[in-house]
Amino acid sequence: MSTKVSGAAPRRKGLTLTDVLVTVVVSLVLGIVYHLWASVSSVAGLLFLQSNELVYGMWFAASTLAFLLIRKPGVALIAEIAAAHLEIAFGSAYGIQLLLYSVVQGLGAELVFAAFRYRKATAFVAGLAGIAAAAGSLLADIYYGYVTEYATWLLILKYTLRAISGFVIAGYLMYGLAKLLEKAGVTQSLQPVDRKEYDALDS
Amino acid sequence: MKKFFEPSRTTLLHRANPALKLLLFVLLFVLTLFVHRIDMSFYLACTFLLLLFVGSGYPVWKTALMAAGFTLALASASLTMILFGKGSEIWWAFGPISISKESFYRGLHLGFRSIAFGSQGLLFVLTTSSTGLFYALMQRLKLSPKYAYSFMASIRLLPMVGEELRIRREALAVRGAGAGSAGLLRLPELYALPLLAQSIRRAQRTAAAMEVKRFDAGKQRTYYYASPFTRSDAAVLLVLACAAAAAFLLAQELPIFGLGDMRMDP
Repeated sequence: MSTKVSGAAPRRKGLTLTDVLVTVVVSLVLGIVYHLWASVSSVAGLLFLQSNELVYGMWFAASTLAFLLIRKPGVALIAEIAAAHLEIAFGSAYGIQLLLYSVVQGLGAELVFAAFRYRKATAFVAGLAGIAAAAGSLLADIYYGYVTEYATWLLILKYTLRAISGFVIAGYLMYGLAKLLEKAGVTQSLQPVDRKEYDALDS
Repeated sequence: MKKFFEPSRTTLLHRANPALKLLLFVLLFVLTLFVHRIDMSFYLACTFLLLLFVGSGYPVWKTALMAAGFTLALASASLTMILFGKGSEIWWAFGPISISKESFYRGLHLGFRSIAFGSQGLLFVLTTSSTGLFYALMQRLKLSPKYAYSFMASIRLLPMVGEELRIRREALAVRGAGAGSAGLLRLPELYALPLLAQSIRRAQRTAAAMEVKRFDAGKQRTYYYASPFTRSDAAVLLVLACAAAAAFLLAQELPIFGLGDMRMDP
């Protein structure tokens, strides 16, 4: 068949409005979790010194989950910004600050996915993105909270826990969630389609 | 709730262009971030707290209620630093805790800075509407409409997620499922999966309709709300610059602490 059906036309390489809207909506749902997570974090903090860092990785989850679902460049960064934007929309006093944090964290995750040329969407790569986001938050903390002025053992403890948490929660946990969504059949229409797959249809 | 967040009067800050205001407040944030002297951070906290009460357009009691959270922010920003910060002039030590003169004042400085950040941030969100901000970003900063309309639409889709959460909870309760401690482990499966799946599908449907209506059209489009620059923008620029300059001058002329850079090795 030579006539082209509009629905079957290869999608543009860049982000379409659909990609952006799905990313933003998924991130806002996670943004609510982010908001509630503050209390989870303070409960977890009662365990031992800096134990609240064990759950910190949830705050990087939007970028990895969005990428695992949509698998396009730029999605991880937009997702993290969208989740933080919820705080501004809800009128949080620390909205601007969270927005700038989200840019640094989202960029961290984005760089890891870019390093794998946006081809690899495994739990391990998502975990690495979680660690990179944690590194981004460390960078912001150095200016914001002078964390390098902490006693050295505390500094290492804090950010090791945060990196582990990013690896597990933003990586493996979000991968599991993405797999569940895949099984439910919601993700097929989201991900970019290879030229090969169209050719397979034509032949 | 909605009534609570309605300003009783509109001030200069409400009339300013939201895009310019966002830029100015991000600039203020960065400026505050590079303040390393405790006198300066103290006066910054003072001037912007004052500006918040004067300029937010809310009654004093409401502003005070919203600003009450700053005390918590102050505590959380300063406490870890005071207890575990580096320092040579030790005041008190017990186990891993060591409070030194340096760490104490550094913690206090961080606390003042967090009040300054909080006042600036609250001043911004209380005087800016989300819709106004995105219209301004599209028109003044050339943000692509597909991003702006996605963000605006997503906020409108959010209440439906809440509604679905309620329905889901009741449906599970009727079936006697998801109760007890086993329910906690199945939380992703019972709640996250259906809520996310529904949200994604709804977003796709909405986006398809929006694409057909050319919400993502970039060039030569018109906007329902115009978002021009006005004289208020110049005035706001002046006011914010004056507030920052006043803090700087006060720190120079009337230092309270008289300490230098708060970092050990700047």
